[in-house]
Amino acid sequence: MLERAGVPAVSICTDAFLVPARAMADVYGVPDFQFVVIPHPIASLSPTQIEANVSPVIADVVRILTGT
Amino acid sequence: MTDLPVLDIDEVRGVMEDYFERGWTDGLPVMPVTETSLDEFLATTPRAPDEVVLAMPHLNRECTVRTAAINAAMAGCRPEYFPVVLAAWAAFAAEGYVPRAIWQSTTGTAPMLLVNGPIRSGIGLNSKGNVFGSGFRANATIGRAIRLTAINAFGLRPHELDQATQGNPAKYTACIAENEEESPWPPFHVEHGFDRETSTVTAMTMRSVVHIEARHTTVPEQLALDLTDTIRRTGALIHETISACIALGPEHAQLFAASGWTKDELRRFVYEHAFNRREALAAVGKDAVSGKTRWRLSSQHPDSVPDSTGGAEEVRVLGSEQAVQIVVVGAQNAGVSAVIETFGPRGGAPSIVPVESPRSA
Repeated sequence: MLERAGVPAVSICTDAFLVPARAMADVYGVPDFQFVVIPHPIASLSPTQIEANVSPVIADVVRILTGT
Repeated sequence: MTDLPVLDIDEVRGVMEDYFERGWTDGLPVMPVTETSLDEFLATTPRAPDEVVLAMPHLNRECTVRTAAINAAMAGCRPEYFPVVLAAWAAFAAEGYVPRAIWQSTTGTAPMLLVNGPIRSGIGLNSKGNVFGSGFRANATIGRAIRLTAINAFGLRPHELDQATQGNPAKYTACIAENEEESPWPPFHVEHGFDRETSTVTAMTMRSVVHIEARHTTVPEQLALDLTDTIRRTGALIHETISACIALGPEHAQLFAASGWTKDELRRFVYEHAFNRREALAAVGKDAVSGKTRWRLSSQHPDSVPDSTGGAEEVRVLGSEQAVQIVVVGAQNAGVSAVIETFGPRGGAPSIVPVESPRSA
């Protein structure tokens, strides 16, 4: 939605939602939509654990945002 | 033997297996549909086959009268049930949470229908013993028609767009009728402004049906507190407040009425007593809310802010008296009731739609 409004965006989901995320991308007619996947869960983690899960994907976020 | 119908079982099984292979099922066999049988369903409504009964804009998908009829036929409905199915769709559209994707949520809610009025006996809907259970075609197939449509028209298949963590057994089917005949109070739809001779469908989004065993008392306050204890349980609290529909067995309803309690008095009592002590919320790590989502979490959490009570010792779980509805269902044979834990609007009027007669055409 943001990208259609001209704002670069990247979706991040946990691996538990990989299948529904791909299904939604199909529904919207962009089956090759790129998004970033991190390990599940999020809600019950400490800030340190969140950081440990997010750090490895920062490069992927930048790559999708910049289209490189 | 001569009275039994003759058919080619290979042909029947072939059709059934084809439906399974296409994924047009909730896991149980579905009834084959032809243009001719479909026409019988469409003849029960004045609405045009292409009229949209419910849209899910986020999926860019919608269900028409025709699609709803196909799925009602596949669910095993008789054509004369179809006006009830259509009223159910109108009620879900008006309720608002279904078009906004609640059936895809990890919470795993199910559609729950309540039917009132003369159509209950007209089509053989069960309102008495085993009302939440199996054994009655109208209840079983009307509820199933909704769920099959969710799967086939909206694509809400488990492990795909239906992300339910566990779901609940009512996702196969959930359609109850009020036991108006053994209720001491006006029927649910009359309470909400409809004529007794009008038939209505009320749509709810439900998480669970929790059983209340109370055969021990004739004291209305004791019974009301037993019901209230189930409503306020901390496990139900994802948000600050919840909503519920109390499904009273006739015996319990009559106990309240014999003590002079109206539905509104019961509702008020439940509203006032459905609270958790802050200490009990702290013990399960739900004594504050997230500043971002307003979901309950521990006051020790870095994102936590105080809940809306201003630090009160007694933390109510109902935002208003209207967040609890009351209906009378089941057999007149024991002190058993249930709390239907609903999800969605936490207060305000329930979503009730009259059943349209074929004669309005």
